[in-house]
Amino acid sequence: MTNTVDVTEFNSEGFESFLSARPQPSWLEQRRRTAWSAFEEMDWPTRRQEEWIRTDIRLFNLNKFGLPTVLDAPSEAVHSLLGDGLELGGQVTNVDGVCVSSSVSDELDAQGVIFGSLDELAGEHSELIESHLMKSGFDAATDRFSALHAACFTGGVFLYVPRGVNVELPLHSVSQLSDGAVDLGHTLVILEDGANATLLAESHSTSEDASGLHCGGIELVVGNDAHLRYVNLQDWGQGVWHFGHQHADVGRNGSLQWTSAALGSRLAKINQHVSLSGEYADCQVNGVLFTEGKQHLSYHTMQHHVAPNCHSDFLYKAALQDKSRTVWRGMIKVDPDAQRTDGYQRNDNLLLSENCRADSIPGLEIEADDVRCTHGSTSGKVDEELIFYAQCRGYTRNEAIRLIVTGFFQQIFDRITIDSVRDALGLAIARRVREYE
Amino acid sequence: MSEFVKVACTADFADECKILLEVDDRLVVVVRVNDEYHCVDDVCTHDGGPLGDGELDGCHLICPRHGAKFDVTDGSAVTMPATQSTGSHEVKVEGDDIYVRINE
Repeated sequence: MTNTVDVTEFNSEGFESFLSARPQPSWLEQRRRTAWSAFEEMDWPTRRQEEWIRTDIRLFNLNKFGLPTVLDAPSEAVHSLLGDGLELGGQVTNVDGVCVSSSVSDELDAQGVIFGSLDELAGEHSELIESHLMKSGFDAATDRFSALHAACFTGGVFLYVPRGVNVELPLHSVSQLSDGAVDLGHTLVILEDGANATLLAESHSTSEDASGLHCGGIELVVGNDAHLRYVNLQDWGQGVWHFGHQHADVGRNGSLQWTSAALGSRLAKINQHVSLSGEYADCQVNGVLFTEGKQHLSYHTMQHHVAPNCHSDFLYKAALQDKSRTVWRGMIKVDPDAQRTDGYQRNDNLLLSENCRADSIPGLEIEADDVRCTHGSTSGKVDEELIFYAQCRGYTRNEAIRLIVTGFFQQIFDRITIDSVRDALGLAIARRVREYE
Repeated sequence: MSEFVKVACTADFADECKILLEVDDRLVVVVRVNDEYHCVDDVCTHDGGPLGDGELDGCHLICPRHGAKFDVTDGSAVTMPATQSTGSHEVKVEGDDIYVRINE
């Protein structure tokens, strides 16, 4: 069944149509207009800018896509990798940037948990959302993509967990993109002090080679003594342009475990920024990238230590096939007051073909004098001796390579505390491994 | 194998010796050296720099970022810091029309 969402062009007229088609609080409309003005004034990033030196978007043409202006899309069965067979506390489904279904259990509802489409809830929970939306580090004026997103976001996910509430069952969201469609969804997660929750988010296209545009944003606000596990599995079609600004803020004694898996898209440029703003805050980020064909995935991460005695641990592992390319630019930034910081970042790259390329650039910017900051980067090919060893024991070459790739990612899998996520990722990765002579 | 695609006319090179073009979803540089036409990828294999923005020195295209030179006749890297060839594609001229066939 095809989607009946109407689209208009990304221009002033289209933007006015887009605004008039959606009921929303006046503060939100004003913010969108401000962001749109910024979008119109800015140029697209160029490769003269440090952040874009290794990511070429000259073939990206926004005019090939359009703004969705209809609020309802027909409901259709949407498959999911992370949510199937799992008992969930709630679920949100978006198709082409429009929410088609959302639900939260009666038990969670009674405890004051809010979970659903950000677009739909912005009116009902106006004050709450206004006080948090794009406030904790997410800057709509960062670049033209963030401005476009802030002006035109639709659908999305909103999760609010009140003080002290423990959400035991995982919550799940899935975003599906049709061929040529646009998703500008924003995810806003707020955990008040002492709250606990797990959110599994996944995205995919209707076919492996589908085209499209995703210009998204993620905001995770983890209060004091709160704990959030967030999983983000991206498996867009290989024709999708994927841009995203992702921010998290962790309060005193709070913790965030963020697992980010990127398998799809034609070109991805993701900025992932975690701020440890309360003392003894902790964050662990696990990144999995597996590329093939001519994919280009670029991840820029930032571990920002604002408060003292905080711990951050970022581990990104990438396996590359064919002529694909990954760019990983990691930075640990330690403010002058962030004494006794313990920061760690590492990027490992496994090159499975002759023509793939991994750029890995770890960095440190330290302004305190009593810290421990460590970073590392490795890049290499599969050891032929390992393959020969496995073949001697009856494995085919492809089976051997698959084993080695699984072993390469095992360190990440061991850090994932959700069984279903570990299994789903392992399966998705194993399916992708091809044989190379 | 991909097909030959018309990308330009010889008249386009009256005042230019190189033109950046998009062919089969790929950015390439078509270069005129004397009366011959050549086509290479718009990417320096050293650090991904835009070859199309560089100077042409004889049949060598110079990357504007770090000065690596590439032979436009076959895409080979002539000087450091590049050590690997960039993509090179077939060009044919029929009348005033220039055709390119992308080599994957």
